[in-house]
Amino acid sequence: MKEVMIGNFAIARGLVEAGVELAASYPGTPSSEILPGIIEFNRREKLSIHAEWSVNERCAFETAFGAAFSGKKAACIMKQVGLNVAFSPLLRGRSKHIKGAFVIVACDDPGPQSSQTEQDTRLLATMFGITVFDPVSPQEAADLAYYAIQYSIEHHVPVILRSTHRVSHAREAIDLFPPGERRVVLTEGPMLNNGAGFGIVASGMSYSVASDVVYDLGLEKEVSLCKALKVFPLSPEIRVFVAAMEKVLVLEETDSTLEALLDGGDKVLGRISGHVPSEGELNYDVVRGVIGKIAEACGIRSRQFVPDPAVDSALKNLTIPPRPPKLCAGCPHRASFYAMRHAFPEALFPGDIGCYTLGTYQGAVDTCLDMGSGVTLAAGFYDSLNQDGEGRPVIASVGDSTFFHACLEPLYDAVRKHKQFLLIIMDNGTTAMTGMQPTPQSGVRADGAVGKAMPIENVVRGLGVEFLQIVDPYDLHGMIGAVRDAYEYFETKGETPAVIIARRPCILLEKRTGDLISSPVPLEENCVGCKKCLTLFDCPAFFFRESSKKIKIDEGLCTKCGVCLLACALSRPRKGQGQAQKGRTGPQTV
Amino acid sequence: MRLQIVCAGVGGRGVLLASTILIEAATEAGYKALASDEYGMSQRGGSVMSVIKVGDFASPLVGRESADILLAFEESEFYRNLAFLKRGGVSVINTKLEGLIQDISNLLQERNVACHLVDGDGVAMRRSMIQASNMAILGFFSALSVAPFNLENVQATIRRKVPGKVLQKNLEVFQAGYDLAISSVSSGDGGLSVREALPFGPTITGES
Repeated sequence: MKEVMIGNFAIARGLVEAGVELAASYPGTPSSEILPGIIEFNRREKLSIHAEWSVNERCAFETAFGAAFSGKKAACIMKQVGLNVAFSPLLRGRSKHIKGAFVIVACDDPGPQSSQTEQDTRLLATMFGITVFDPVSPQEAADLAYYAIQYSIEHHVPVILRSTHRVSHAREAIDLFPPGERRVVLTEGPMLNNGAGFGIVASGMSYSVASDVVYDLGLEKEVSLCKALKVFPLSPEIRVFVAAMEKVLVLEETDSTLEALLDGGDKVLGRISGHVPSEGELNYDVVRGVIGKIAEACGIRSRQFVPDPAVDSALKNLTIPPRPPKLCAGCPHRASFYAMRHAFPEALFPGDIGCYTLGTYQGAVDTCLDMGSGVTLAAGFYDSLNQDGEGRPVIASVGDSTFFHACLEPLYDAVRKHKQFLLIIMDNGTTAMTGMQPTPQSGVRADGAVGKAMPIENVVRGLGVEFLQIVDPYDLHGMIGAVRDAYEYFETKGETPAVIIARRPCILLEKRTGDLISSPVPLEENCVGCKKCLTLFDCPAFFFRESSKKIKIDEGLCTKCGVCLLACALSRPRKGQGQAQKGRTGPQTV
Repeated sequence: MRLQIVCAGVGGRGVLLASTILIEAATEAGYKALASDEYGMSQRGGSVMSVIKVGDFASPLVGRESADILLAFEESEFYRNLAFLKRGGVSVINTKLEGLIQDISNLLQERNVACHLVDGDGVAMRRSMIQASNMAILGFFSALSVAPFNLENVQATIRRKVPGKVLQKNLEVFQAGYDLAISSVSSGDGGLSVREALPFGPTITGES
C-alpha cells in the first residue's frame, strides 16, 4: 500500500514501523511534523508509543536516551540548531553502550530558510564519530528511519538520521507496511558508471538534484555518479570510486563534510575548492551551473543551459511586490512592539527566536542570537550601559514557548544579580511559527490529552521577579503605561528585572465571537499621509495609496482588531507640528 | 512521461491544496510523482510556490526555463515565477486583466507560451466562495487535458481531499472553471483572456 505524504511523515512512518517505543521532540522548522506523524501512525496502528513535546531539545534528547538506556527503542527529533541545545548529552552519550535503540533525527536547513544559521549535522556527527545517514528522498528517509533503529540495536550506538528541509517537506507516495515488516532496500555507491573522466559524489537532496541535472544536460552516458548514504563512517566503495576518477565533483549540503572526508587533493572539487558556492542551498539552477561548467572544463559535450536574456529584460521594468515575512494582520505581538517602542524609542531591544523576531521591522527588535538570548543579552547590555553611566532602557522580548525553552535560568540569574531590564513575555498561548504546538502553560500534551497547566506568572514570581504586570497588548495605552511603570519601579525601589506578560491568543488560534471594531476600520478618515504607521505598526492589511496620499485598508486581510487606530492617534503628527520631524523616525514620548 | 508544474500564489489561498490535489491525482493515475513546497516564515500572506514533477524524476526541484506548466493563483506571483516556465510552456493566471502588458505578452508570444488569463476570483466570488479561486484555476487547467490530468481524476481527488462542509462549493467553482475553458475553446477564440459571460454584466467593481 502507498500513501502520499511529506518526508517528515515518512520518517515518522519508518520509526513507527521499526517499533519505536518513545519519541521526544521540540518543534522547529523543518522538523516539526515528525512527532505529529508518530502520533498519527501510533493511533492508526493502535500501538502504545509514548510521544511528547519536550520543553527543549536537551530534555527531548535525555528523555529518549534514558529510554534507550533501559532497553527501549527511542528517538529524539529536532532541527539542526536544536541539536546544539542537546550538545552536552550528545557528546557524552555517543560513547555509551546503547541497550535498546537510540536514533536522533536532526533536520538541517540549507539556505537557511527559517533558522539563524546554516549548519551541517553531518559535520558535527563526523567530527565526533557518530554514525550519520543522509537520505535523498522521502521514501529513502522512511527506509532509513526504519534501518537506523535496527543499526542502533545491532551496533549498540546512537545513530543520527539527517534530513534537510527539501527532504522533510517534499511529498511523494510512500510504501506502507505493517509494523515490523518493512521491506527496506538501500542503495549506495556508484549509480552511473561512465568511465573514469568525470565523477560526481553526492549525498542527500543534492544527489537527487544531480541525477536530474545529469539527465537534463544529456550527460547520463558521460559522467559517473556515486551516492553516499552513510556519510560517517564513509563506505570504502566511495573512496574506491574517487580513487579511480580523474576529476570528482562533490555535491552536498550544507557544509563540506564529504569533501573533507574524501581529502582527494586537487582532483576533488567542491565548496572548499571554490567550485561550488560556499554557502546557500544547492538548488537546481546552482547544481546545473556547476555540473555544466565542470563538464565543459573536462571536455565533455553537454546540452548546456543558456538563460534567455529576453525573460529578464521583459521583467525588469515590472514592480513585483516584495513579500517579506510579516506578523499576521491582527497579531498581538505587533501591538506589543508598537507599545515598547512608543514608550521608549531610545531603548535597546534584544529579541529572541520565533514569530516575534519580526519585531525588527517595527524597530523593536535590535538583535537576537539564539533561543533564550533575549534575556541574557539584556543582562549583558544592562551591565555594559550601567558601567558606562548610560541610563538607556533595555527592553527584551521573548515568546511564551521560548520562555519555557530557554529563559528560566537566565531570568533567575538576572534576578540574583539585580539586572534592571524589562522583559516582555509575548504570551499568545502557542508555538505559532512552527505550527501551533502546545506550550507548557496550557498543560495540553502532544496527543491532545490535558495535563497539568503551568501559568507563566507563577514561574516568573517563583524566580523572584518583583515587578510583574499582565496586560492585553491590544490595550495599547495600558501596555505603554505598563512599560513606563516598569521604569518607574527601577527608579524607585526596583532591584530585579521587571516582567510584563503581554497576553492575548495568537490570531490564528483566537475564536473571536465578534469584530472588535465596526466594519470597515476607518483608518483612512484621519490619515494625514505621514506614513508612520507603515514602519511603526507595519500591518500587512494596509498600504499607502499614492493616488489619494492616504493609507488604505485591505479588507480581505484586515481582522478588524482596530489597534491601528490607537497607534495612528498616538503617532501621527499633531496639529501645528507639521509633517514628520527630520532626523527622527520614532514616535514622540508624551 | 516527464511533466513539471509550478504552482505559485500567496499564503492562505489554497496553493498547497491545489498542488496536493495534482500530486495525488498523478499518483492515483499510476505515475511516479514528487512535490516540493516553498513557503517563507510568515504564517499568512507570503509568497508560496510548489513544484510537482510527474514521471521519471529524482528530485522535486525545478530549474529556470524548465517547467511545462505555470499555474499562477495570483498575478504578481506569475511574474515572480515566470523564469521557471520553459519555451513552449503553458500558463494559467488568476487575474482580472483582459491582457498582459506589452513587454510580457511579446515575450510570451516570442517564447511560444500559451497563456490563459482567467478571472478565478470572480468565478469563485460569484459562488460566494472567494477562498476557492484555486478551484477555478484547477478546473480550467483540467480542461486542458495535460496528461495525466483530466476532469474526472482531478475532480475525484478534490472529493477525497476537500473537507465535507466546503466540498460542494469547491466542486461548483471547479466545474465553472472547467466550463469556462471548454466554452472558450469551442467558441474558437483561443484568446488570451477568458471571462465568464455574465447575465447582468460584470459584478466586480472596486479596486485592488
